[in-house]
Amino acid sequence: MAIITLPFRYLEQLTKTDRTTILDRLPMIGSEVERIQDDHADVEFFPNRPDLFSVEGVARAMRGFLNIETGLPTYHVKPSGITFTIDPKLAKIRPFLGTGVIRNISLDEESILSLMGLQEALHWAVGRGRSKVAIGIHDLDSVKPPFHYIASPRTRSFIPLDFNKSMTMDEILAEHPKGRDYAKIVKDFPLFPLIVDNNDNVLSFPPIINGELTRVTERTKNILLDTTGTDQKAVNVAVNIICTAMIEAGATIESVEINSKEVPTLAPSERTVSVHECSNLLGVTLSAGKISELLKRMRFGAVPEGKDRVRVQVPCYRADIMHDWDIFEDVAIAYGYENFKAEISKTFTIGNPHQVSVLARQVRSILTGLGYLEMMPFTLTNERVMYDMMQRQRSTNALAVMLPISEDHTVVRTCILPLLMEMLQVNKHRELPQKMFSTGDIVQGIKTFQSIAAVSCHAMADFSEAYAGIDAVTSELSLKYTVKESDDPTFIEGRRGDIMIDGTKMGVFGEIHPLVLNAFEIEHPVAAFELDLRGVPGYCVPEDIL
Amino acid sequence: MVELTYNEKRLLNSLAGKKETDAISLASALNSTEAAVVQWAHLAADKGLVSVDRIVNKTYVPTDEGKVYWDKGLPETQIFNNFDTSIEVSKLQNHPLFKIGFGQLRKKGLVQVKDGIIFKVSGVSTQDDEKAFKSPQLSGTREKELVKRGILEEVESVTYRIAITLQGANLVAQGLDFREEVGTLTREQIISGSWKSIPLHKYQVDKLPRVVYIGKTHPYQQLIDEMRQIFLEMGFTEIHGGIVQSAFWNFDALFQPQDHPAREMQDTFYLKECIPLPNGWDRVRDMHEKGGDTSSSGWGGTWNRDKAEQCVLRTHTTSISIQHLALHKQPPVKAFCLNRVYRRETIDPTHTPEFEQLEGIVMDEGVGFRHLLGFLKEFYGRMGFEGIRFRPGYFPYTEPSVEPEVFVDGLGWVEMGGAGIFREEVTAPFNIKYPVLAWGLGVSRLAMLKLGLKDLRLLYRSDIGWIRESPVHRTGKAGSRGST
Repeated sequence: MAIITLPFRYLEQLTKTDRTTILDRLPMIGSEVERIQDDHADVEFFPNRPDLFSVEGVARAMRGFLNIETGLPTYHVKPSGITFTIDPKLAKIRPFLGTGVIRNISLDEESILSLMGLQEALHWAVGRGRSKVAIGIHDLDSVKPPFHYIASPRTRSFIPLDFNKSMTMDEILAEHPKGRDYAKIVKDFPLFPLIVDNNDNVLSFPPIINGELTRVTERTKNILLDTTGTDQKAVNVAVNIICTAMIEAGATIESVEINSKEVPTLAPSERTVSVHECSNLLGVTLSAGKISELLKRMRFGAVPEGKDRVRVQVPCYRADIMHDWDIFEDVAIAYGYENFKAEISKTFTIGNPHQVSVLARQVRSILTGLGYLEMMPFTLTNERVMYDMMQRQRSTNALAVMLPISEDHTVVRTCILPLLMEMLQVNKHRELPQKMFSTGDIVQGIKTFQSIAAVSCHAMADFSEAYAGIDAVTSELSLKYTVKESDDPTFIEGRRGDIMIDGTKMGVFGEIHPLVLNAFEIEHPVAAFELDLRGVPGYCVPEDIL
Repeated sequence: MVELTYNEKRLLNSLAGKKETDAISLASALNSTEAAVVQWAHLAADKGLVSVDRIVNKTYVPTDEGKVYWDKGLPETQIFNNFDTSIEVSKLQNHPLFKIGFGQLRKKGLVQVKDGIIFKVSGVSTQDDEKAFKSPQLSGTREKELVKRGILEEVESVTYRIAITLQGANLVAQGLDFREEVGTLTREQIISGSWKSIPLHKYQVDKLPRVVYIGKTHPYQQLIDEMRQIFLEMGFTEIHGGIVQSAFWNFDALFQPQDHPAREMQDTFYLKECIPLPNGWDRVRDMHEKGGDTSSSGWGGTWNRDKAEQCVLRTHTTSISIQHLALHKQPPVKAFCLNRVYRRETIDPTHTPEFEQLEGIVMDEGVGFRHLLGFLKEFYGRMGFEGIRFRPGYFPYTEPSVEPEVFVDGLGWVEMGGAGIFREEVTAPFNIKYPVLAWGLGVSRLAMLKLGLKDLRLLYRSDIGWIRESPVHRTGKAGSRGST
């Protein structure tokens, strides 16, 4: 999550109102105030709104939301006369480049921090950890245009940021902290992306590290922005967000020529949206005029076109507007979530429980009637508990997760009994008798089914108790069964039985083998049973839908 | 009139006229055990009818080792008696008790050794030690020494001396009713009418009862059933589905971009298995790449079919909801699903890799955002939360999105999950024509609030003591048994 630091003095200066007003309304634009300190607040913004990842961006939005300055912000761009070329060999490596010249900046500590914070947050939210988009910021006056984005041999060397010696790009990947962090993005390419100036001086090795040569300091007056990536749209939006934030901070922007096109333009895009579609979606009747007014408070340009249409200009920094409904959400936010009349819809429908739940409820009623207490263990377990401790053969049917969180949670349970044995272990210091059951999902292969298991632990627990228990459960479930001597090593030989339904084993019961008791550190006999609920007449496999 | 049990009366009767009697002789007189007599005496003493004195006696008894010497004497005696006046050390050394016995004899100065020969000191014997061993006196020096050697041990025995008080004697003098009290009525007594003339034992109600543990459902399941009931009452159909889902249904069908961080191995449990894509998958692909036939631009890039076929443990039950919608395109659809979902979280007091989610959808003509807020408000209201508010939220598959919060005393506003209207990019590929209101609410957080738990793990790895003590009818937080 992106947590942005908002220094109050700078925020108040840019928003043109006091901190209390701002902080009070900030959550209602879509954020969470994490903490408030004497001189700043830390606020979390959603990943779909990277334009709010800077103080300047937040101030721009809040001026609109608080009705201080509404409508589309206008940004002027004039050509810088600088050109930037792109090497065609980058097509399969990192093909897209966005750029721009930022002039007349006066960087003080707060604006540098805001800019750096914005860059980092964009790397995370838009850049997917720099793989999709990476941003470099350079002191324009230390290099000479035109600039070239090239695919370079990996042996090329330069002095990377924060180092004082020249290193090859391979060395940077191995030795520089940033190189090690991001090596995985480029390491498999034969050639590496590189940005050089007209004198073949290195500006940057995207997406890894800038050169020391173009380091930005408080004395920097003009900035060259390089933004490279694998997605043109994402690259553009990152450039737009940074450039417009810098304009809000007092800078001017000049465009750069790439392939005889001037970029960036910082021009809004246009959409025409339907008034009734918006009203229907929100459940509130709104006019074209009202929608326009609300959208202006969200910093859109908006003009009613007749009764049912509004022509909307979307600011260039809004990465999230991909569908008309995204605009309608902004209408809702400006309208105020607290102002909606919350009501359930009037359509009459009849409630209907699922058969799996109905059966589970019946099973619970039977087992609690027998005096058993319900447990709700995890479905994630491991083969040691599921099989080894139960003295059972490991099953090929157990579903293994690929990157388990721990060696205790490597497979999904194929039956429930071992989990109940664990529960007895956890509770061994508690008063006996302990009678527990659990019912719920099990997974065999990739299919989900339901099962019921029960254990009874006390000095007199024996085969007869297990047999009586499962007989009560099966007869209450209208289940006709026969019993066969079992060979399940979880139970004591001669004290175990299989529940057979139409020739298929659907359950097992008996007295738990002392080897199993020892494995779970249980000191008293345990009578136990488990029943596959697929055997129940009318059992329906959960809709495995399509 | 004082209520007395039959046995109390027997006790008083046999004490009458005597000064003081010990419990053992009373037990044999009353044909009972000492423990029972003491119990009756205490009952009578509570009413001021007898006095009970507990007397602790200390005595010495032989230990297991001491018992071995009981017949043949202490080791030193056995060695001492093994020769007349003198013997060569080498001859005596073979005796099994030589080490202990000889050591003791030398310590006590009963023998002397000269040039490998042991001599008895004249006129001595081990008689005093044997006397201390066989009939020990409390606090004797020799006895204490034998205790230290582990041959004798000190034991305490408790005896009770019971005497009747003046009040008790008066009561006996008035005459006692000796008809035996009946505890459990028999069938014969009930049908014959003999119960009318039988004195029924009267129990004391100020004594705590025996604790009985009932069989019951898990407190968390009770809460889950409560929530299910609310949605059934509101006319929702319950849906169920498999734990294993393809990434297609879990993510792609919900317009979650294929490079979204939540789809990474770090956050989702992936499986080696694959599930083939359903018919119409290409419409989902077109939506991701270009926005299909809607006003959407799509995510751009190339949608990868292999990624969609990968299997995951469902990260939400929204995968079940969208499949239900794909099969039920005619409005109205009101459905809910309350089941386990899986996220790759390390276990701590507030995170578990599996937890319950309450998922609901409403697809109908004429429903909008206002109604979504209405359903959320209704649900939380029925769950007992009076304060509810809505903040803008963000979820990849809903637009607009909202985060409901409820007010909890002592905690303030608590976030409860996410909700929104399914994006058209989600519904259009399945030809769903009307808005779909949707929510996914964290049930375990609600359970922690309702059950007063600080540690989520207790729901799944439950202390049976906690379940036994959690009342079925909750009044706020889980309380403890009995009247307080």
